[in-house]
Amino acid sequence: MRRYETIFITHPELSEEELSELQQKVNSILTAYKGDLIKLDDWGTKKLTYEIRKNSRGHFFLLDYLGGTDLIRELERNLRLHDRVLRFQTVRIGDQISPETLKALKEEVGTEKNSRTIERPEAAPEGGQKA
Amino acid sequence: MKPPVRKKRSFQRRKVCVFCADSGMKIDYKDVKTLNHFVTERGKILPRRISGNCAKHQRELTTAIKRARNIALMPFSIAST
Repeated sequence: MRRYETIFITHPELSEEELSELQQKVNSILTAYKGDLIKLDDWGTKKLTYEIRKNSRGHFFLLDYLGGTDLIRELERNLRLHDRVLRFQTVRIGDQISPETLKALKEEVGTEKNSRTIERPEAAPEGGQKA
Repeated sequence: MKPPVRKKRSFQRRKVCVFCADSGMKIDYKDVKTLNHFVTERGKILPRRISGNCAKHQRELTTAIKRARNIALMPFSIAST
């Protein structure tokens, strides 16, 4: 399994329902395609350096997971269709993650999970060399 | 009565790549603070001859900056005032 990271930016003014609906969708895709979620970070609303669809602000999410190509295809298809998602980008950050390292990664995330919003994610590099 | 010939380039450029010198520094496209050191005021990527980076790290840096631009963390260009 490969480790991927997807950042997606949604409209800044999303209702609670829309947010949870989106998260549920992501989760269901992950389970349907046998992906393993490591973390889903909510960065909150940030200023965009340039306007995207007339929005100067956006709500950032960072999704960190293991999966295959079919998972990525389905996830990106859904993000593309979602009209509240402004932008998304998937980056591969690790190759051939063994179940043990996955466990370690999950534990690591679990310890820092208490703070829901992590402003500047410093904790990214452990397995992947590719930034 | 000619003045002595001077060397044209008097400044010494920093020879060591920052990322090689400090192994704790990682290039990450989400870390805008670090990346901002390597762009001009207008948002263009600094060339290697100015930043002094090694080829490997310059390459990584370039992709990182381009990724950051893609998700609106960094600007493609900043208009002059």
